[in-house]
Amino acid sequence: MAKITIDKTIFEFEGDQPSLLQFCLDREIELPHFCYHPAMSAPANCRQCLVEIGNPERDRETGQIMVDEEGNEVIRFFPKLMTSCSENISDGLVVRTQRSSDLVRRAQKDNLEFLLINHPLDCPICDQAGHCPLQNQAYKYGPEGSRFEFRKVSKPKHIRLGPRVVLDAERCINCTRCTRFTSEISKSHQLTIVERSVKNYPMTPPGIEFDEPYSMNVIDICPVGALTSEDFRFKARVWEMSSTPSITTTNAKGSNCYYWVKDNRVLKITPRTNMNVNEFWLADDDRLDYERFNDDRPPGPTVDGEASSWEDGYARAAHILGNVDGNRIAFLGSAHASVEDNYLLARLAEKLGTAAPMYIEHVEVGSGDDWLRTDDRAPNASGCARLGFTVADADLFGPRLKGGEIDVLYVLEDDPVSTGLCTSDDLHGVSVILHHYNESNQTLPLATVSLPAATVVETVGTFVNIDGHAQRVRPAKAIRGVNRTLAMEIGRSRADQHGTPFDRWYNEENLINCQPGWVSVPGVANALGLDMPTTNPKAIMAELASTNSAFEGATYSAMGEYGIRLSEIGETV
Amino acid sequence: MEVKPTGQSKAGDWKNFQRVLLPPVKDLHKLEVYEAEGGYQTFRDALSTAKWTPPAVTEEVQQSVLRGRGGAGFPCGLKWTFMPPVDENVPRFLCCNADESEPGTFKDRQLMEYNPHLVFEGILLACYAMSIKTAYIYVRGEFADWITHMEAELEKVYAKGYVGQNILGSEFSTEIVIHKGAGAYICGEESSLMDSLEGKRAYPRVKPPFPAQKGIWGYPTTINNVETLACVPLILRYGGEWFSQIGAERHPGPVLYGISGHVNRPGVYEYPTGMLITDLIEQVAGGMRNGKKLKAVVPGGSSTPILTAAMIDGVTMDAETLRDAGSMMGTGGMLIMDEDTDIVAWLRRVTHFYHHESCGQCTPCREGTGWLENIVSRIEEGEGNIRDLDLLVDLCSQMEGRTVCALADAAAWPVRYTIERFREEFEARCRPSLVPGAEVMETVE
Ligand SMILES: Cc1cc2nc3c(=O)[nH]c(=O)nc-3n(C[C@H](O)[C@H](O)[C@H](O)COP(=O)(O)O)c2cc1C
Ligand code: SF4
Ligand code: SF4
Ligand code: FES
Repeated sequence: MAKITIDKTIFEFEGDQPSLLQFCLDREIELPHFCYHPAMSAPANCRQCLVEIGNPERDRETGQIMVDEEGNEVIRFFPKLMTSCSENISDGLVVRTQRSSDLVRRAQKDNLEFLLINHPLDCPICDQAGHCPLQNQAYKYGPEGSRFEFRKVSKPKHIRLGPRVVLDAERCINCTRCTRFTSEISKSHQLTIVERSVKNYPMTPPGIEFDEPYSMNVIDICPVGALTSEDFRFKARVWEMSSTPSITTTNAKGSNCYYWVKDNRVLKITPRTNMNVNEFWLADDDRLDYERFNDDRPPGPTVDGEASSWEDGYARAAHILGNVDGNRIAFLGSAHASVEDNYLLARLAEKLGTAAPMYIEHVEVGSGDDWLRTDDRAPNASGCARLGFTVADADLFGPRLKGGEIDVLYVLEDDPVSTGLCTSDDLHGVSVILHHYNESNQTLPLATVSLPAATVVETVGTFVNIDGHAQRVRPAKAIRGVNRTLAMEIGRSRADQHGTPFDRWYNEENLINCQPGWVSVPGVANALGLDMPTTNPKAIMAELASTNSAFEGATYSAMGEYGIRLSEIGETV
Repeated sequence: MEVKPTGQSKAGDWKNFQRVLLPPVKDLHKLEVYEAEGGYQTFRDALSTAKWTPPAVTEEVQQSVLRGRGGAGFPCGLKWTFMPPVDENVPRFLCCNADESEPGTFKDRQLMEYNPHLVFEGILLACYAMSIKTAYIYVRGEFADWITHMEAELEKVYAKGYVGQNILGSEFSTEIVIHKGAGAYICGEESSLMDSLEGKRAYPRVKPPFPAQKGIWGYPTTINNVETLACVPLILRYGGEWFSQIGAERHPGPVLYGISGHVNRPGVYEYPTGMLITDLIEQVAGGMRNGKKLKAVVPGGSSTPILTAAMIDGVTMDAETLRDAGSMMGTGGMLIMDEDTDIVAWLRRVTHFYHHESCGQCTPCREGTGWLENIVSRIEEGEGNIRDLDLLVDLCSQMEGRTVCALADAAAWPVRYTIERFREEFEARCRPSLVPGAEVMETVE
């Protein structure tokens, strides 16, 4: 097997390898770097990742590797330091990083001195501070002070490159990650570097706005705070927020993300790398779709339009359901709700002798693209379909309601009126039981009983994306009701366990009075005296994973952080 | 650095040297005149003679020991052999580097003005040798007049059938495109030149891959300087052997010396390589202006290390001798400075140039060039400190050899060597330094 030696440690490898820098990073050998990004070409322009590189010297005649008196291979090092990001790996390579070479340490320090001379060092007011590669690496590998005694260059500040991205050119270290993103990844070509030498910075071509649907990715990949989000600028310091790994639910792609929460409010959404789903990227609309988690939330359950307790809500719902014939009830599952919630709804329907729930399709033709945005604007239509739910057809559904075939409409986390499945008129004389996320739900005014539902950032559950990838969501913020499963899950999924000293997620003011579907649906069932076997989402998935081939293997432990690809339903169901 | 005084000119009987790159023929830039002088005959021969297969042409150029005249002095024939084997489905390119922008360098434009057909013929022969079907001439944008001038002559060459499809009834086809540069010194660096040619921002590329592997549009490309290519027809006409006998043994051939500065007759002069610098100043350029004494010589364009008057004794203009003397041949653009020259002011001007021209891609060059200019300016204004000199040298070490292209080295060398060789002048310009202890102690008392 081929081998390479890094700081006296030998690593074996086979087959094609990435650059030396990536090879090291993959083995947790840290090398400072700025311009390199695994998804893009390596221009080797930041010059930070310098290492010493050598090859075993071979005898000119025999081709044999030469050895010294002690039997060690004689290594010939290149006279210059090489950038590891642009260096290929070959058998026998010998590498010295800052861990073993004074030369490399010195060069890395020198480079950081250069990087900082014209940098404004306005970390105290910079959004990037606290998770800034420049700040971190300057602390770790940089010089102690600066020998620069001149005015720093002044460059344009607060330039709106487009509707969502703001540039501070003085902070830019000209790594070209942002321009390479637009030329190699999104292919919008909306950014280029202008000017020369220390004056240069990224800019849009004349007359062009940086408004592509993926523009905000440059904010995350910028290794400094030069590119900031128009939306998030100055809202919170990174250490004041907790971040929770989860997925976005703006469309059916299920892009992996982090939810950033402060005072129990979601403030921003950033991508989480998952090479099977969204790679490193996240669409702008996925990122900006967070206000619905914070605002427009219902104050609590209602009965006949009046505030009520949860017990009264359950009792009234049970009363309505218990007094009609099963086939005069219609259940609507939801492509917004988790597999677990929908599953429990199906169990309830079954026990009442009602047909399996249907679900509303949220497809907006033309709103997606062939990358991370789908025409389907709901996260879990696949999950509903795999549970055997069919799509509710507006042409049939409204007339059925209007024609008096249905006495009770039970809606899980959706809005039949605003989606056009039926009109308010159609619901005249129908008792509506509604689990809803937001006050602006247009079915809400017609609901006899309303039971506020926990959103994706407040619950535990499973979603199946458009490609059949089943993924878990985790609670990023707390709800009002005490729930052991949620509390434990928050503790497990958030690095800071119980919120940072600055993030008072237990902040009473911002705790929403809602319940996950896997609490409130069984709540109704219990009030009916029906036996719901399990209300634990983890156990529900364990059961589905072993009994329903459409969810085969989809246990919580198997899904882990990155989800699993389910088999095609066409094949198995 | 030690100077090895060889004392001897390597240029032989240079006083009787017959000019071949810029021969004294009136209106040589006109196609008719060039042809009447035997022009394009070499190219005709190459196409029609069985002996001149493409590899044979390359072989002859290798025999000649022609070294690139663009600055790095890389053997031309060897560079041509780096091109991969011909694959009909893969385009390949030649690029004639006419971006001439190194301060002190002004020889390529003489060729473009007075002998453009020699350049065209050289391009055609190079294309033939490497089976290239498209050649670009990347001309510095400011050379607008020379572009119009060459375009007019190129028209005639096309009309005459020396360029185009099935040239002179042969199998060989090639096109020549004159490309107007996008105006920056960095466009002369071969890899950024390719980006510029592709319509992109001129950013030098990381090497490897080298142009012969991945050049213009990602295809195999050879890049040569104007003067390098102009030597090619002469080599084929008179033989590689003839060429290799002219001037210095390891760096032979006729060469254009661009002499500027405080001499009586500045200008471009064609002589063999290996001329004594003193001969070039005294005899060729008519001696120092106003009888002043020589102070310094920058032998090959502003980036090559400066030599003091004492250092040039017996030094000849060829790569090996100049290297031993502590400098480089570069482009052969010689800056001659007399005793009145303010060396600090000169260095300030040079640092300004490289600062202004850094493409800004690499950290050490982008930041270092500006910092160098800051410090040298401060010294020139009398505000510098002695320790600034050590800082300057330190910064040079932080830049040299750590960047994508050689501009950072080109910016650092003048600083490093000017300070090394004229340190007293810099020190005299700095603020009087505090003798550690003395003055401070006094004020304390
Ligand atoms: C910063 C920089 C600027 C350069 N400018 C020029 C130029 O203006 N003209 C030129 O012929 N070569 C220039 N070169 C050298 C070219 O990169 C290249 O080596 C040369 O064109 C090769 O031609 P040759 O082998 O015929 O000398 C420059 C190099 C650097 C690093
Ligand atoms: S704005 Fe950021 S990503 Fe873009 S070049 Fe500057 S430092 Fe790099
Ligand atoms: S060395 Fe200077 S000019 Fe060359 S690529 Fe780097 S920044 Fe650009
Ligand atoms: S990461 Fe290698 S040069 Fe920037």
